[in-house]
Amino acid sequence: MGSLVNVAFLQIRVVLALIMREMHTRYGRENIGFLWVIGEPILFCAGVALMWTAMRPAHEHGLPVTAIVITGYVPLTMWRHCIMRGVKAFESNGALLFHRQVTPLDIITARVALEVLGTLMAGLIVSLAAMAIGVMEAPVDIGLVYLGLAYHVVFSYASALLVAALSEKSEVVEKSISVISYLSLPFSGTFTMVDWVPQNFQWILLLSPSVHNVEMIRGGQFGPGVHPHYNIAFDTWTTGLMLVLGLSLTLRVRRHIVVQ
Amino acid sequence: MIRCIDIVKDYHVQQGVRRVLDHVNFEVQRGQKLGVLGRNGAGKSTLIKIVGGVEVATSGHIERTMTVSWPLAFSGAFQGSLTGLDNLRFICRIYGLDYPSTWRYVDDFAELGRQLGEPVKTYSSGMRARLAFALSIAIEFECYLIDEVIMVGDARFYQRCQDELFTKRSDRALIVVSHDMNFIRDVCDTAAVIHDSTFTMCGSVTDAIDFYHAL
Repeated sequence: MGSLVNVAFLQIRVVLALIMREMHTRYGRENIGFLWVIGEPILFCAGVALMWTAMRPAHEHGLPVTAIVITGYVPLTMWRHCIMRGVKAFESNGALLFHRQVTPLDIITARVALEVLGTLMAGLIVSLAAMAIGVMEAPVDIGLVYLGLAYHVVFSYASALLVAALSEKSEVVEKSISVISYLSLPFSGTFTMVDWVPQNFQWILLLSPSVHNVEMIRGGQFGPGVHPHYNIAFDTWTTGLMLVLGLSLTLRVRRHIVVQ
Repeated sequence: MIRCIDIVKDYHVQQGVRRVLDHVNFEVQRGQKLGVLGRNGAGKSTLIKIVGGVEVATSGHIERTMTVSWPLAFSGAFQGSLTGLDNLRFICRIYGLDYPSTWRYVDDFAELGRQLGEPVKTYSSGMRARLAFALSIAIEFECYLIDEVIMVGDARFYQRCQDELFTKRSDRALIVVSHDMNFIRDVCDTAAVIHDSTFTMCGSVTDAIDFYHAL
């Protein structure tokens, strides 16, 4: 038991060290440096929100467009950044695997933690700014927003684990990730709510855990004004299955990594 | 003690599978100094990486009852785009070392001066070796895995290694890969040869050197 606690502490220490290192390698120490972790997603979310607010009618299916954009793009950005950071993550971090206590799982965990924290903080800042200038209202049910985000964090983590392990083993997977992430946009739940889609097609969207998560977030944001479609049981077991698969592949990937 | 039990390592290569190590068994006791000889590509570095836990053996396993360093080699262990100091800070964090005192020790030992603030990819192999060596000495491992690196240092660095590792820390175990037979003869008390993916433990260091020359 004592040694288990020690191992847990060691792994936490390693993940924290990896996060610090990742910030230094990616953003350097010049100008605002690691603030780009938040700055990048802010630019993206704020840019898209501004563009949509300017181009589209103020309401879409009776919902304010700025809030639709923010509640859609924050989860989308989180997921896309996580899987992109997962591609070939072990090859680019091979030098670190020289230290026995650094495991492939730590590398992905650190990368995902950084992306998740960055997008969540960016989402918070953009939402507060939108509320301050009066183009977005405070969430009606903040609990449901948190629940949706929590599910989405686990979903993004599981996706990154799968992508990292599979891209290490197969070049086809590695090369096709950006296409896959583009083609899966309709299944992200960002651009449509399930309720807007004809009833006989809704089940297709509801196959994707991401759609359930975004529905929860929007259900929490707009409250009784919308009719969100989500199924916690389905979301739990699909995301859980992905996580178990991702973890088991990542824990076994070390065999396939050739360290320079 | 380190015990390697039935280590097999296969690599997938263009023409199928190549067995680099075939059922390797050996033990290294506390304080023992093992030299590993072999031709280029015989699998010496692979063995050191497996003992260090950097690569995973295809089958077999390793028992470690002492702390083992990472393989001190030409490459690996440092992130090239980061400065020497950032790498130092990272290693301090993962090994739980105090950064300021380790920094002072490494600065004094490696004598890299202002170069320590530059990205590691701009270092020569000798400078890299000095950094790696200084850091691993600061961590105080019980067994050091050395893959040729000492040989790239200059005379002054070589003398420092002699003092710090072979004299002051003579109770530590070593596993050394080298083509420098004088070095092996001076430092090691046991030696083995890897040839045709077979690991042969020799009766004495002199026997091992003779075997190696006969290959």
